[in-house]
Amino acid sequence: MAEQNDSAGAIPQRQLGRTTVEVSALGLGGHHLGDCKTLEEASRLVHEAIDAGITFFDNCWEYWNGRAEDWLGFALQGRRDKAFLMTKVCTHGRGADLAMTMLEESLRRLQTDHLDLWQIHGVCFDNDPELAYAKGGVLEALDKAKKQGKVRFVGFTGHKDPSIHLDMIHRGYPFDTVQMPLNCLDANFRSFETQVLPELNKRQIAALGMKPMGGTATAVKSSLVTAEEMLRYAMSLPVATTIAGMDSLEVLRENVRVARDFKPLSSAQMQALRDRCSQAAGDGRHEVYKLSLRFDNPQARLSHGFPLDNTQKEVQEMLFNEAGGP
Amino acid sequence: MNDPRENPIQRGFDRRGFLQRAGWLSAGVAFSESVLNAQTARPLELSNTGPDDIPRKPFGRTKESLSVIGLGGFSLGSAPTQDEAINIVHEAIDGGVTFFDNAWEYHDGKSEEWMGHGLKGRRDKVFLMTKVCTHGRDKKVGLRQLEESLKRLQTDHLDLWQIHECVYDNDPERHFAKGGVIEALDEAKKAGKVRYVGFTGHKNPAIHLKMLSYNYPFDSVQMPLNAFDASYRSFQNQVLPEVNKRGIAALGMKSLGGNGQPIIQGVATVAESLRYAMSLAVATTISGIDSLAVLHQNLAIARGFKPMTAEAMKAFEKRCAAAADDGHLELYKSTMKYDGDLGREQHGLPGHKELPL
Repeated sequence: MAEQNDSAGAIPQRQLGRTTVEVSALGLGGHHLGDCKTLEEASRLVHEAIDAGITFFDNCWEYWNGRAEDWLGFALQGRRDKAFLMTKVCTHGRGADLAMTMLEESLRRLQTDHLDLWQIHGVCFDNDPELAYAKGGVLEALDKAKKQGKVRFVGFTGHKDPSIHLDMIHRGYPFDTVQMPLNCLDANFRSFETQVLPELNKRQIAALGMKPMGGTATAVKSSLVTAEEMLRYAMSLPVATTIAGMDSLEVLRENVRVARDFKPLSSAQMQALRDRCSQAAGDGRHEVYKLSLRFDNPQARLSHGFPLDNTQKEVQEMLFNEAGGP
Repeated sequence: MNDPRENPIQRGFDRRGFLQRAGWLSAGVAFSESVLNAQTARPLELSNTGPDDIPRKPFGRTKESLSVIGLGGFSLGSAPTQDEAINIVHEAIDGGVTFFDNAWEYHDGKSEEWMGHGLKGRRDKVFLMTKVCTHGRDKKVGLRQLEESLKRLQTDHLDLWQIHECVYDNDPERHFAKGGVIEALDEAKKAGKVRYVGFTGHKNPAIHLKMLSYNYPFDSVQMPLNAFDASYRSFQNQVLPEVNKRGIAALGMKSLGGNGQPIIQGVATVAESLRYAMSLAVATTISGIDSLAVLHQNLAIARGFKPMTAEAMKAFEKRCAAAADDGHLELYKSTMKYDGDLGREQHGLPGHKELPL
């Protein structure tokens, strides 16, 4: 993979933290993949991403009640070795046994015998770190899965508050990766970039950026910044990869265009972008995942006793499936 | 398997304070000496303590006293009819409730109108509060809302006028900006239209402390106070001592967690939750009452009220902590459910219909 750095028009590969593995600086998000209209469309997206030089594939046990993993698994048939495959475990405070059951389901759906990276999904509630580190908690499942050779590396994710990430890190488990929202809005509001990213770099834990557009791209829609500026900003940070949601070939091609021959923004250019966003970003309006329960998945809400939001498509699908399906 | 939430060391970590961990106020909160040396309030001193009376507590460092339970304005507007709302107001006054809460934006004005009807001929029996809803807009908007509130409440003055819903991280700087709502508070006081001023919010202790860091002479500060708060982003631990140190009256709200979920889920009873809230160092506990049945229930709890002992309060907190420390019993802190549409609009966020939680 390393030689791709020298070939013209390649998506850069970056080292994954303290490991010797390299991943593409642009990653394909699993949630948006499950939002494609058909399996064929999702499959075409994965194939074209691989051909373009994307190696990092994100997913999660709970995305679209399994559909996102099913579709990625189908698309990776015969191409598994070209991907650095990540999925997430969704215990949300529940125990290691449940996590191992979820791992087997993920492997089956993804049609593989191992994951390159397995992360604890959605560490978003104040007591999640405490529950993860408890005896019998999900961290024991990470150890077990590594020992069994079913996962190579482990980490955790979350979009809510830097203090919760720091709590997870400071309790001391040797994570290989940590995923978080990183974009030019974040720098001005409950900032992962200023509070968590330096801590990860210091510990040589690979930082995985997500939500380069702020989740719903309202900052782009309101013409505060362009999508290209946002993606370039996110990719210019000291991260191993930037996971972007791409639900159409058009978006994939646009992102690949930015990622090819990518040159990081200068620190002055980055500061200018942060400054431009500072006024609008100060109340969190363009990063709703930090304010609202909207981005906290149904499984997380159920296990913590939070109400579901029946207006969400994913929740409706889940309830439909639980009621026995069609 | 051990319940990890029983581990006292880890609990201690979580309770150390969201504010410090989040580092939202990394610059530190500088409190001036003059404010700190203000005459201390005696928020636990009860008066009017007959067995059938609703006791009263001092309103901060003033000579006023308030009934330990107050009537919430939002829920009054949720009563089935205007007649029922008027009956609630009348019976509350007759029962010994003196503190009446409201806000310019509740039910698009209906809450103030119904309370105004209920207070006709009884205005002098109550300590009347309503809230101004600029949500970051300038003082002109605030003063216009004041005139509307006075008209709807059928009075020429308010006893207390508070800045409503300080829940966004940048609310303090907007309120204190030149030409902002703070100047409206000053002008309204000078014009004799309001006697005391304060602010409210249900979201995060850090935002309240930021409001206090400007050292403006607020008379009152309203916040959610209940046993669930004690173990999650706690106003009781972080804001209440600061407010009392300054001689500012603390006004408690959401004694049942905002929507009664802790009661419905069997974590606590109404009586112990309300008694706990009223036992804190507050001037009053504002209670949401949308029917005569609820009024009667709460008056019975408040009548002849004796504060819980410190031990009983600790035991109750401890019992609630396991269920409370992820915030699912306090949705006003952990979700956007309680952030009003008007405030969302001023902060460029979608309304409830699009973003219910």
